[in-house]
Amino acid sequence: MEFKSSNTQETEKEVFFSRVLFCSLVILILASIIFTRLFYLMVVESDDYKLRSANNTIRTQSLPASRGLIFDRNGAILASNQPVFQLEMIPEQVIDINKTLQNLAELELISKDSFSEINKRIERNLQFKSIVLKRNLDDREVAIFANNRINFKGIDIKSRLSRHYPKGEAFAHALGYVGSISSGDYSRFDPGFYTGKEQIGKTSIERNFESYLRGQPGIQKLLVNVRGRVMETIGQDPFQSGNNLTLTIDSELQEVAYKAMGDQKGAVVILDASNGEILVMVSTPSFDPNQLSLGLTQDEFNTFTRNKNKPLFNRAIAGQYPPGSTIKPMLALGALEMGIVEPELYMPCEGKFLLPNYSRPFNDWETHGSVNVVRAIQASCDVYFYEVANEMGIEKMSLFLKKFNLGAPTKIDINPEKNGVVPNKEWKRNNFSSRENQSWYQGETIIAGIGQGYMLATPLQLAVATAIVANRGSTHKPHLLKAIENTKTGELQYIESEEINYLTDIKEENWDLVHQGMVAVVNERRGTAYGVFPDNSPIAGKTGSSQVFSIDRSSNKEVPLELRDHGLFVGYAPLDEPEIIVSIIVENGGGGRVSAAPVAEKIFNSYLGRTITNAD
Amino acid sequence: MQIDQFKLKNSNVIADRAHIDMPLLSAFLVIFLISGIAIYSASNGSINFLIDHATKILISIFAMIIAAQLSPIDYKRIAPWLYFFCVLLLALVLVMGETRNNATRWLDLGITFQPSELMKIAMPLMIARYISNGTLPVQNLSIVFSLFIVLFPTIMILLQPDLGTSVLIAFSGLVIVFLSGIKKRYLLSGLLIFIASLPLIWRYIHPFQQKRVLTFLDPEKDPLGAGYHIIQSKIAIGSGGLFGKGWMNGTQGQLDFLPETTTDFIFSILAEEFGLIGISIVIAIYLFIVARGLLIAINSQDLFSRLLASSISLTFFIYVFVNMGMTTGILPVVGVPLPLISKGGTSSVTLMIGIGVLMSIRTHKRLVPK
Repeated sequence: MEFKSSNTQETEKEVFFSRVLFCSLVILILASIIFTRLFYLMVVESDDYKLRSANNTIRTQSLPASRGLIFDRNGAILASNQPVFQLEMIPEQVIDINKTLQNLAELELISKDSFSEINKRIERNLQFKSIVLKRNLDDREVAIFANNRINFKGIDIKSRLSRHYPKGEAFAHALGYVGSISSGDYSRFDPGFYTGKEQIGKTSIERNFESYLRGQPGIQKLLVNVRGRVMETIGQDPFQSGNNLTLTIDSELQEVAYKAMGDQKGAVVILDASNGEILVMVSTPSFDPNQLSLGLTQDEFNTFTRNKNKPLFNRAIAGQYPPGSTIKPMLALGALEMGIVEPELYMPCEGKFLLPNYSRPFNDWETHGSVNVVRAIQASCDVYFYEVANEMGIEKMSLFLKKFNLGAPTKIDINPEKNGVVPNKEWKRNNFSSRENQSWYQGETIIAGIGQGYMLATPLQLAVATAIVANRGSTHKPHLLKAIENTKTGELQYIESEEINYLTDIKEENWDLVHQGMVAVVNERRGTAYGVFPDNSPIAGKTGSSQVFSIDRSSNKEVPLELRDHGLFVGYAPLDEPEIIVSIIVENGGGGRVSAAPVAEKIFNSYLGRTITNAD
Repeated sequence: MQIDQFKLKNSNVIADRAHIDMPLLSAFLVIFLISGIAIYSASNGSINFLIDHATKILISIFAMIIAAQLSPIDYKRIAPWLYFFCVLLLALVLVMGETRNNATRWLDLGITFQPSELMKIAMPLMIARYISNGTLPVQNLSIVFSLFIVLFPTIMILLQPDLGTSVLIAFSGLVIVFLSGIKKRYLLSGLLIFIASLPLIWRYIHPFQQKRVLTFLDPEKDPLGAGYHIIQSKIAIGSGGLFGKGWMNGTQGQLDFLPETTTDFIFSILAEEFGLIGISIVIAIYLFIVARGLLIAINSQDLFSRLLASSISLTFFIYVFVNMGMTTGILPVVGVPLPLISKGGTSSVTLMIGIGVLMSIRTHKRLVPK
């Protein structure tokens, strides 16, 4: 060690001391910088970082509500929910999607044909959201996957509640069905209700009362770690089940009607005469709503939409048919009221009606001889009503028929209802484009007298019109919903439908005459439905045949099925205080007597048989 | 300010005999207590992790006591040997070192360790000895030679690559040159040369280090990649607020959003769970340790001890500053742990040896007789 003078040592110490002081100053400055920074982060910006911290870790998850149940008027269950198993994939978690799909196909869990469909779904979907690979796994498939689960990261079996319709096809059109939510559905309903859900009401009750049935989804707040794994549930707002609906449908009668229709195309509507409740709404051919609810591929769905028999089409409210002779009781009433006919005035029927300037006669389906108003209804004499129409004119006729709610929506509580047509001169002007088609011809008035030509009505409209006839001028708005049960409070809210007086100043004796004619249809010799029902049935009715195609009736040649007339039957029972109104149409059935009336017979038999048994 | 104002009183005789400085020891016991609390939370409540950590703390306290027993004369004597031994080891690392995570820092000689850790002790010893042996004020040639002593191992460590350690080692040497009374214009020109050579240094440092610096400048540019650590750390600290979320309740740490919670980012855990008030206490204790170290330096009787003690204290502060700076996002993430609170290992042993040296300087007062 070298020698240092104490002087040097002192200066050196001084320099050192000043440098240490300088360093201390720097330390204080640096420490202040850190502290200022911490103050800025932890006090000034703290709320922002607290929010970001919460966003990091808190996920809210929707708890889908269970859909409300649907019952018939007697409490029989028509729509419920049951668990189904489906194979789902979260694309984000799958390392090699193509290989994974290939492996699943090798296990026969999915078919190779579905690859393109699945890939399309993957593209459309958010990568972290689950997509369905296959729905409705059976026990064997669940077992196969369970055994191989370890090889399929990002794929799992999920159980979900799916809509189930225990009574199947017979109720499909009345209830409607649920299906996968489409973008169109999201525009109708607040998507907030459907997070975590797969199904939404597509038609009929399921669609129109969607907002009652869907319930309110719950919310679950979850604490997740950086990998999204749920660590803890930190809050839960339980879901509120959808409201249960009770329908006006009488499932026993509905099944009778569906069975009675057999494999014929057509529709049956039965109303409770006293309050407008729809006891039966059948449209055939039908479909299995369970199949649609579980989800179909586009191809499978196309087989429904392309089927020329249109199984998805609800004929009861949207099928429009020429009402044919079923309007005759109403026209008869009009003629009586207007003084065009007298009750005891007999008119000759020689099987044809001639109009000046028309070379071809208007044919009757039969030569009836001499008929008065009751006989004309009973035997469905066309010539009698050609005369009536000719006398009344189209304007008065359409005005009067509209009082039976024809040509206007019944405002039933499901969609999509069609309006039908009651033509007049104005209607024709508005609905045809070329000038020559816009003018009204007298011949068109004549055929309107037997419900042909431009006139159209839905089976439901005919039921409502028949109810007005049976109730002597009034009826209730038809409806399918009877009550809504609030599942939270258990409170039942009954739907009352208002009574509408369509016709108020009709003479009682004229009603009597019309009813007399309709009773005779069923119960008297020469009645068009005579012999179809047991003798002296407490039933009144009217058959009808609507022409699909103008056929020379005199020839006895076999007519191709799709060109045969539609058969119609409307009626009510019992006679004094009508309880049920029936409206039936059988497409290409070849006339009301042979096709629609037998269906009515089975229905009345079941209904009246039941009331008799109940009376005991 | 006068030097006499900072005279340390003679302390406890027994502690003096054992060569222990009680204020320093107490401060470190508090630091270790905080460390235990933080480590337990950062490891999601793992007892085994805590036991392992406690063992390493005990080893480093033991190392400190041993280091305190040697006198400053002993340290001055072994300084060059230790330095050259470290340089040799660093050379071996570059030739036959073990590579982990893209960095070659480890040497396997029966036991696997980082020679750069040993250099943290060797560097201040060597420079302090070299400067204190020369004439004062420092000769120009001595300055150049000191710079060489500092930069040679620094560059070897930079090549491993280990930016954080090389910066700290360079600092521990250069600060001695500064304290020895180097002229201000040399300092200024040195600073200018350093700034001028920054582009050159930029070209030579590893791409991932470049990325860290770039990320530091704009972390939100790549929030899920390189910027992730900084962002999550800032969220942890900021969301702690004034009072913190409570022990074991920090979501950023407990739910693994924050990486490296037991090492580099343990400060963020403390901030998240104990708030500004909690970490103010931690900062205060660190400042107390640094102040105590500088007092020891001022009160020591020879140049070697003065320079060594102040280098150790100031380097200790730089550790704290760099770690807090990088967790709060005002410095790039260079992988410097929070001294003695982060998970224990060789770094805590070398740090405590440094503290042991401080205690040795404080308690061996007869190097130069009065």
